[in-house]
Amino acid sequence: MTTQQLRPIVSVFPIKGKVKTIKQVPLPSVFSAPIRPDVVRFVHTNMAKNNRQAHAVSTTAGEQTSATSWGTGRAVARIPRVKGSGTGRSGQAAFGNMCRGGRMYAPKKVWRKWHRKINTNQKRYAVCSAIAATAVTPLVMSRGHRVNKLPELPLVVSDQLQSLTKTRQAVKFLKFIGAYRDVEKVIRTKKTRVGQGKYRNRRHVLRKGPMVVYARNLGIKKAFRNIPGVETASVYTLNLLKLAPGSQMGRFIIWTESAFKLLEDIYGSWEKPSKFKSGFYLPRPVMVNTDVERIIKSDQVQTVLRNRRPRSRKYGKKIQRADPYEDMSVMVKLNPYYKTKLQKQKELEEKNKKERKEIVDKSRKEYEDWLYFSEEEEEEEEEEEEEGSDEDREIEVLSDEN
Amino acid sequence: MSKQVPETIKKQVKRSFNSKEVKKEKNEKRVKLLKEIQSKAFKRAEKYEKEYLEQEQKLVELKQKALKEGSFYREPEPKLAFIIRIRGIVGVPPKPRKILQLLRLRRIYSGVFIRLNKSSLRMLHFIDPYVTWGYPDVETVRALIYKRGHARVNHQRKIIDSNEMIYDKLQKYDIVCMEDLVHEIYTVGKNFKHANSFLWAFKLKPPVGGFSTVKKSFVNKGEHGNREQYINTLVKKMI
Repeated sequence: MTTQQLRPIVSVFPIKGKVKTIKQVPLPSVFSAPIRPDVVRFVHTNMAKNNRQAHAVSTTAGEQTSATSWGTGRAVARIPRVKGSGTGRSGQAAFGNMCRGGRMYAPKKVWRKWHRKINTNQKRYAVCSAIAATAVTPLVMSRGHRVNKLPELPLVVSDQLQSLTKTRQAVKFLKFIGAYRDVEKVIRTKKTRVGQGKYRNRRHVLRKGPMVVYARNLGIKKAFRNIPGVETASVYTLNLLKLAPGSQMGRFIIWTESAFKLLEDIYGSWEKPSKFKSGFYLPRPVMVNTDVERIIKSDQVQTVLRNRRPRSRKYGKKIQRADPYEDMSVMVKLNPYYKTKLQKQKELEEKNKKERKEIVDKSRKEYEDWLYFSEEEEEEEEEEEEEGSDEDREIEVLSDEN
Repeated sequence: MSKQVPETIKKQVKRSFNSKEVKKEKNEKRVKLLKEIQSKAFKRAEKYEKEYLEQEQKLVELKQKALKEGSFYREPEPKLAFIIRIRGIVGVPPKPRKILQLLRLRRIYSGVFIRLNKSSLRMLHFIDPYVTWGYPDVETVRALIYKRGHARVNHQRKIIDSNEMIYDKLQKYDIVCMEDLVHEIYTVGKNFKHANSFLWAFKLKPPVGGFSTVKKSFVNKGEHGNREQYINTLVKKMI
């Protein structure tokens, strides 16, 4: 893995006076460790089990009777019943988990596995992740810390902080650096615990405020001890349960300068192993560049991809079309010749009709002609027969004319 | 604060395969292609109309000629059959069941075109009690493909709503429009197989007026088996 040749610079601030950079130090390699919430969650859930105290139910609870079952034939359930008489308890069911005053189902034992072993490397991985997360402002903010007014994150402060002895001085420093808002939040949100812990000496619940990490305790521990929400820790023994409370990464940490510098030695880098944890190198990320969207959209990737297949929208939708034999527009779309065909058929029909009409007319005419002609013949015959009475008729005609 | 476009989006737009110019070009090409297809369709439809007419007339001619000479004209045996499955799927023995599957007759009142040759005739022999079949004429083939013709596109059944659909799939077999398809099926051309497999099996309605009895063969006043040219009247009732 190629390390960053150029390490980013972090400003060191004084503990009073003016908020300005008095020095600049390089960012230790730990802060570039991969941020793995899954690892932190796993380690945290198991680590949190390690400060549990054993509890169990009394071994004799519910068993301190000499109850025996009455057997069958007595019109009662076959559960063991308390022997004897003269008291309300006699004849009552005993022993079963369903019985009143009986022992519970699977009585809890002290030899339950209370603690969990976690692989050392996993523990160290989680701590590295958690430390890296403390430098990521969005993570710290999402954890709920009020870090808007800070000059910088990670917040590194001069070593003079380690020599503070008075709480007043500590509070003044926190106000000076802009971290007191977080403390105010803690004070404001102090509540009575919900649940039975309140009468088990765990009455109040406090949020977590800033954590001050030092290299040498020259009074700093006592100075910050009484400020609600603030925790102190030595850089040599950073606790995951404090770095990622509730397995939520991004604790607000105030580093002293020497503590900050020591991180490089304590956790090492990818090239140089840790000086304090034997054989430990910083964990390597699975992906160096996790901005997957950016990788996919980069020129190097996009130019090598094949063209996107065109979405064949024409076949995509369920297309309903009308019946071509009822809707002419659909028919013409499928068979552009159809209209012409109909026309031609029509023309042909009309032509045939005309021809037929002609033939019919012709034959009708012929028939009529024939009829007329035959009538004429008949008339002529009739005329020949009636020739005798013709003169009389003529005379009559003449007389009419007169 | 001015609206800033993310760099990745800017790059994407520049690189985009769906940019306006590309889309415009594609659209123009498509419009041109559609025009070509429609003009081809017109010309071919005209050609086929003539062809069908000539065929009919030729048949009549030959028959008349034979009559004049005092001999007989034996018509060519039919090449195309249309099969309709008229029995359901319950209680079908394995051999007919398999053959019906092979012919894509998987449900009742489904119909397919089939090329008639010795092998297919033997297949029909086995499934006679479950189907009725006959020799469709041009108008029947047309009605089926126009009204009930669905294409098999991307393993899906899509109604044929434009010649473009046919062009896309069957262009390499020189079938570009509906009339081409009808012609290929009706005359059982060189690419009958591809034209037929392009078509999804026809889903017909139960016949208007009903069947007499499917249990008997058509010859025995029933419905199943070969009914030659009477398939045309049946399809009209079922289409």
